[in-house]
Amino acid sequence: MSPDVMISANGLTKQFGAARALDNVSFEVERGEVVGFLGPNGAGKSTTMRILTCFIAPTSGTAQVQGCDVFEDPLGVRRSLGYLPQRAPLYGDMSVLEYLKFASEIRGMDQGAFKKRLTNVIDVCGLAQVLPRQISHLSHGYRQRVGLGQALIHDPPILILDEPTSDLDPNEKAEVLKYIREIGKDRTILLSTHNLSEVEEACARAIIVSKGKVVADGGIDEIRGRSGGVSYVVAIAEQSCERGAAPKSAEVSEALSALKGVKKLRELPSDEQAHRFELTGEHSEDLRAELFRAVVAKGWTMLELRRDALSLDTVFRDLTRNDERLDRGRTAPEDEQEPSSEEKG
Amino acid sequence: MSPMTTIAKREFRSYFDSPLAYVVMCLTFLLLGLAVFFYRGGFWQIDRASLQLLFEYTPVGLSLLVIPVVTMRLLAEEKRSGTLEMLITLPVSDSDVILGKYLGALGLVLTLVLATAIYPLAMFGFPWNLGALDDGPVWAGYLGLVLFSAAGVAIGLLVSALTESQSVAFFITFFVLLLAWFAQAAGGQLSGSLGGALDFVCFQSRLDGFSRGLIDTRDVVFFLSITVVALVMSFRALERRKWS
Repeated sequence: MSPDVMISANGLTKQFGAARALDNVSFEVERGEVVGFLGPNGAGKSTTMRILTCFIAPTSGTAQVQGCDVFEDPLGVRRSLGYLPQRAPLYGDMSVLEYLKFASEIRGMDQGAFKKRLTNVIDVCGLAQVLPRQISHLSHGYRQRVGLGQALIHDPPILILDEPTSDLDPNEKAEVLKYIREIGKDRTILLSTHNLSEVEEACARAIIVSKGKVVADGGIDEIRGRSGGVSYVVAIAEQSCERGAAPKSAEVSEALSALKGVKKLRELPSDEQAHRFELTGEHSEDLRAELFRAVVAKGWTMLELRRDALSLDTVFRDLTRNDERLDRGRTAPEDEQEPSSEEKG
Repeated sequence: MSPMTTIAKREFRSYFDSPLAYVVMCLTFLLLGLAVFFYRGGFWQIDRASLQLLFEYTPVGLSLLVIPVVTMRLLAEEKRSGTLEMLITLPVSDSDVILGKYLGALGLVLTLVLATAIYPLAMFGFPWNLGALDDGPVWAGYLGLVLFSAAGVAIGLLVSALTESQSVAFFITFFVLLLAWFAQAAGGQLSGSLGGALDFVCFQSRLDGFSRGLIDTRDVVFFLSITVVALVMSFRALERRKWS
């Protein structure tokens, strides 16, 4: 195993009675990666994270965190990582400061080290205002931040965050994601969610699990490409420009379909001023540069060009389609929301 | 500070963050005072410089009120609210968690037990001097109470480790301690080996000697064994989450 592999799971299987929560899950996370761990509810995300943090043991298979085996050295594993369980379960009867102190004491940090880290944690997680307040009086967003702070207090090289953004309103969500990006600059992070836009925002790589199995593992763009194509939307201005006559819809269509790599072309409804087309390209190849050059060569005015962000959503649904009814409602009802409702083009 | 002491300290402190500890303490002292001094004439009726009544009633109060209330939430509440996951995924071993929680709860119970020392101090020292107290049985009585509390809290912790509901934990602990206390009274009606067995596990008869100043190794070993067995079983119960 290369020294840069921080988390490695090998053939993790977990059986809960007759139900198989995890089925031969293997993956590796390298130093400095921020990896999104995606899947519908009940797919095995939390189970995997609980195994990685030695809260439960796998039925078979094993895992290493920074070289420490979950069976042989669970304390070593826990020392090298910070963990935020789902819904940030904290002791409500303690104040934020007391809680952070408690976590640092259990981790064997002395007063000086704690004070030093505290300033940093307060800064990164935005806790300055709530430090003396009792945790049970905080909003969920703040609790989530305290949970993050607790996970960061010993400056761990690895962070495991289980649905850090569930239960949060959009503002809080954005804020927590901002903190995660900040923290992720110099750490390895494994972050679970069922919300695709979050992965796109915070992670470079995603592992998708469905029904206890890894169904996709790779860069975001790579996974996006697996739907059999990437779609682009191009809009060309209708009125004439300096170098030529006003383009006709058919001309544009012809020019675009002539491009190498374009598989499908479809005209989209638009206002009167533009011709809009949707193109489907060969998997992960990026056609945007080609498109731009082609349009410029014709002397047309490009009003819009984008890759369709929704396609990751499509891939996700494709990959986890059979999961729909499985274990729904076992965790949280608010998870029912359609991810697409939060996506923007 | 080791993780175990940190957990114990937090546990002990958290009792005072809620009104629970205060309510239980006040109630215990009120009831104990009434029982010792006024129930069937109480201390005055006996008319001797003896604290035997104190050592008779305190364990009942501990069994039926203090220990079930203090231990009910130890692990049950942590499991229900999910904070157990947060606690255990810190670098602590399961035994740290069990012993830390145990010592935290035992600390509170012993604080209460030691606070009853106000009685002998006030009654036979300052400000009243009701007579010459034979302090041998008092020391022995307190040793008995400490051992009894150790065993009772361990049982409560075990029950709390087996359920996710505080109220269920309360009632089970309550009934287990109730049965253990009155086992002999029940056993008295029975003859043969069952009666003998009930007599053997009875907390009341085990404590009897202590309050009369008699420290029997068998009784000491009895309470210590119960403590150790209950703690080991709690540890196993906590560990079971890994494999279920």
